[in-house]
Amino acid sequence: MSNNRLWVIVAPLLFLALLLLPTTGFCQDSAKCLSCHSAMKGRITIASGALVELNIDADKFSTSKHGSLSCTDCHLRFTDNPHAVPSSDIPQAVLALSSKISSKFKVDPVAGAACSTCHEEAYKMLLGSVHGKNIIDKHQSDGPLCLDCHGSPHYITSVKGESSPVGRKHQVETCGKCHGDQKIIEKYKLEENVMESFAESFHGRKLFLGHTKAPVCSSCHGSHDIRSKNDPESPIFGKNKLATCGKCHAGANEKFVPAITHKRPGPIPHYGEKLLIILTIGVFAFIVIHVLLEAFSDIRDAIFRKKEEEE
Amino acid sequence: MSETTTATQEVPAEIERFDIIFRIQHVLMFTTFLLLSFTGWGLKFAHEPQGLSSVWIRVWGGAEMAGLIHRIAGIGMLLDFIWHVIYLAYLFATKQMTINLKTTVIPLPKDVLDVVKNFMYFLGLSKEKARFGRFSYAQKFDYWAVFWGMFIIGFSGYALAFPMQVSYIIPQVASDWIWQLLWLMHSDEALLAIVFILFWHFYNEHLKPEVFPMSWIWITGKISTETMKHHHPIEYELLFPDAAKKNKKH
Repeated sequence: MSNNRLWVIVAPLLFLALLLLPTTGFCQDSAKCLSCHSAMKGRITIASGALVELNIDADKFSTSKHGSLSCTDCHLRFTDNPHAVPSSDIPQAVLALSSKISSKFKVDPVAGAACSTCHEEAYKMLLGSVHGKNIIDKHQSDGPLCLDCHGSPHYITSVKGESSPVGRKHQVETCGKCHGDQKIIEKYKLEENVMESFAESFHGRKLFLGHTKAPVCSSCHGSHDIRSKNDPESPIFGKNKLATCGKCHAGANEKFVPAITHKRPGPIPHYGEKLLIILTIGVFAFIVIHVLLEAFSDIRDAIFRKKEEEE
Repeated sequence: MSETTTATQEVPAEIERFDIIFRIQHVLMFTTFLLLSFTGWGLKFAHEPQGLSSVWIRVWGGAEMAGLIHRIAGIGMLLDFIWHVIYLAYLFATKQMTINLKTTVIPLPKDVLDVVKNFMYFLGLSKEKARFGRFSYAQKFDYWAVFWGMFIIGFSGYALAFPMQVSYIIPQVASDWIWQLLWLMHSDEALLAIVFILFWHFYNEHLKPEVFPMSWIWITGKISTETMKHHHPIEYELLFPDAAKKNKKH
């Protein structure tokens, strides 16, 4: 076999082999990590008692917003030499942050703090928000940091896309994981009924029907810098509502603003509705009974009384 | 003596009951009603988890389009209603319409008695059906239900469609609860209106054996004197007293 003929066979095989290699999206060391972690399945329990997911879906990761990062960009404790003694080469700011948020991260708070290296502004807002303070000041493990709302950092998608947990399609369910959870509502004395009242409001209904301008939670309440409704800086506190509603409803005034609320109906609408329901049932009962009786009497007349009329 | 007048009074085969303007108003009323019901239904049950409403709203061109159709039809219906009231006022002012207890559409104590009489008949307790003037209680009910609907649903709907404009005129004390009340009024009474039309109007004007598939009066505006004699005997006697007397003699 001549050299030339050998190449004809080998070249396509080499080409195919190239296609099988992890594709361009990965950095060199992502590829190294993924060569094991894309094949590993299942979870392990580590010393602290936390469950760690071992598998990384390489395709999903590479198409995600973070696909071009290398693993060690966030997993700062790990050097290229896998799972070696934790690296001491971690920026001071990240290290300091990681100790503040340790109540949220049983596995790797450094990785959780690493978001701040790129998303500094958003992280700062989050830490000052009612969500962030709950974690930093009160050392609670519930209340969201980045991942609780945005999902796994390995598979972050554009907020404009359908799959994003913080996008228009899924944001309400994402907030509802806590704000619809009775335990959390009781623990933090949150406004109850928010999920139901939103679903039943014009805003919620329009959103579910696919109205492109209907608001989601963050449209009124803000996102990273979210505040308690009792915080004077909250966009839904007192007169701030005028500006918040005014974002969509130009000229919103004090009598317009109460049109949408999470509060349960007051006594007037409540008893008003009861009255309307009684009226509806009353009218309904009358017309149904009347129609049915009339129909039966028509049938009766047609069968039994026809002769009498003819005579 | 009565013989001679009977000869001179011709009983026509049919007479006009609704003029062309009433007929147009009725057509406008039911087209806008259907559009409002179809688009409003999707919004009323939008929060139910089955997701059927979003499919239904897509049929109407999506949430924005359905909302636009609902608003246009709503304004159309309100204008139709206002036109009707103004036309009635004009008819009264020019004496083309006067109030006569036998022909009026205004509810009277007699209507309550008629309901009782008819229920007795339905139940076999009496052999006599109620005798009606120009409008039976069923027709009066149908007519005034629209008025009720226009006040409750129409004006609450206007407030909900143009909340910013309406917010300037509502009193401060009411602003905390009026929006929820308006929404409940609009949605609950709309459901009542749909149920009412489906059962009452559809049975009486479409499904009843004697009118099936429909009473054609909405197009022709005319009622045959034969039908009138059976269904509106009091009006018949008022219009053709001699013919009615003659019939009784026979």
